[in-house]
Amino acid sequence: MTDKPRFKSARESGYLLCIDCEKLHPLSLEGELCDRCGARLHSRVPNSMNLSWASLIAAVILFLPANMLPIMTFKSFGQGEPSTILGGILHLLDQDMLLIGLVVLFASIVVPVLKIIAMTILLCTVQFRLQTNLRQKTLMFRIIEWIGRWSMLDIFVIGILVALVQLGNIAHIEGNDGATAFAVVVLLTMFSAIIFDTRLIWDNGVTDLPSDNSDEKDTP
Amino acid sequence: MHGTPEQLIACHECDLLMTRVANKPNEDVICPRCHARIFYTSINSIERLLALSVAGLILFIPANIFPILSLQVFGQSQSEIILQSALSLFDGGLVLVALLILLFAIVVPLFQQVILFYISFTLHYRREGRLLRQAMHAYQHLRGWGMLEIFMLGVLISIIKLKDIADLHIGLGLYSLAALIVVTTLSSVFFNPHQIWHQIDLRRQKRATDDR
Repeated sequence: MTDKPRFKSARESGYLLCIDCEKLHPLSLEGELCDRCGARLHSRVPNSMNLSWASLIAAVILFLPANMLPIMTFKSFGQGEPSTILGGILHLLDQDMLLIGLVVLFASIVVPVLKIIAMTILLCTVQFRLQTNLRQKTLMFRIIEWIGRWSMLDIFVIGILVALVQLGNIAHIEGNDGATAFAVVVLLTMFSAIIFDTRLIWDNGVTDLPSDNSDEKDTP
Repeated sequence: MHGTPEQLIACHECDLLMTRVANKPNEDVICPRCHARIFYTSINSIERLLALSVAGLILFIPANIFPILSLQVFGQSQSEIILQSALSLFDGGLVLVALLILLFAIVVPLFQQVILFYISFTLHYRREGRLLRQAMHAYQHLRGWGMLEIFMLGVLISIIKLKDIADLHIGLGLYSLAALIVVTTLSSVFFNPHQIWHQIDLRRQKRATDDR
């Protein structure tokens, strides 16, 4: 095992990449403006870890009121009571609307929970310099980053129902505060993922070329 | 270390430094370490973006002025345009939720089409384009915040929820919204930031030599 080709980051080699336009600059330009796109240059997103942790923790806290407070109230001839996210899903499942019950369950509960777990794993990876499964973790990040926005589904449903079902005493739907808490949870988890700098995962990571990859090129 | 050799590139997801390789059109360059797509070449992407953004801007009008759904119960009827889903929540006191719906379902998608039109028009017709950089930053940062397709799924779920208690009619607005989603999805596929930044760079260099 002598002199295996070694992965080297741009930062280790004295370069930094403009994250906005992907132009490569010398590391000495840290804090200056990119001459191509005018964005401020940073080798890593400043305060990425702090901001990402902070918004993730805030999201976890708000996840409780989001699920315990009612999100909307359906009233027909003076009858009806407020329902929570889970209550709405159970109601759908009760009425044999299995498919859309599962869609809402997935978007409103499974995705936010998975996203919170995944972000925790990623942040711990960087925080405690874990070095395992980095490629899988990067893939996991791409998936949750893409899928996270679908949690807004229930918020849109509330908006559409409230606007449409305004028939006075006959039938009437209104939104409740749980919806605000839930919307903020979605926003915070999205922000946590956006501000997270994936390059941090690899900074303490494996530097040797993985063996399954011998056909690929490009190591300077 | 002085200057930036043209033959080097770095991965935006894991910061791996690599030598630039020539890629054929429609061939992706993939990071060997984290498998991110580093760059790719798309053919006629500016022209396609121009066409799509014009289509998007036109479709935006019927999608927002015609009702997406209407509902009839006991002879009473009620119809809804996209904006009303934000307004009625605003009236009900859920200001933040209303604002988010307004942003994600109307403002951001509209803004994205306007920006895309500006970028592709300026580059295609070689106009001056003082705001090109800002437009590119805005478009790149807005990615992911336009949520028309999620709104659409929300409409479908609302239809299923209400179908047992009321008569529902799908309006012209919903068909336009569906078409608009096709257009916005295609334009985000054809949007190739690498290529556009490169073009902006070339224009700037050309202008610098012209001035001399």
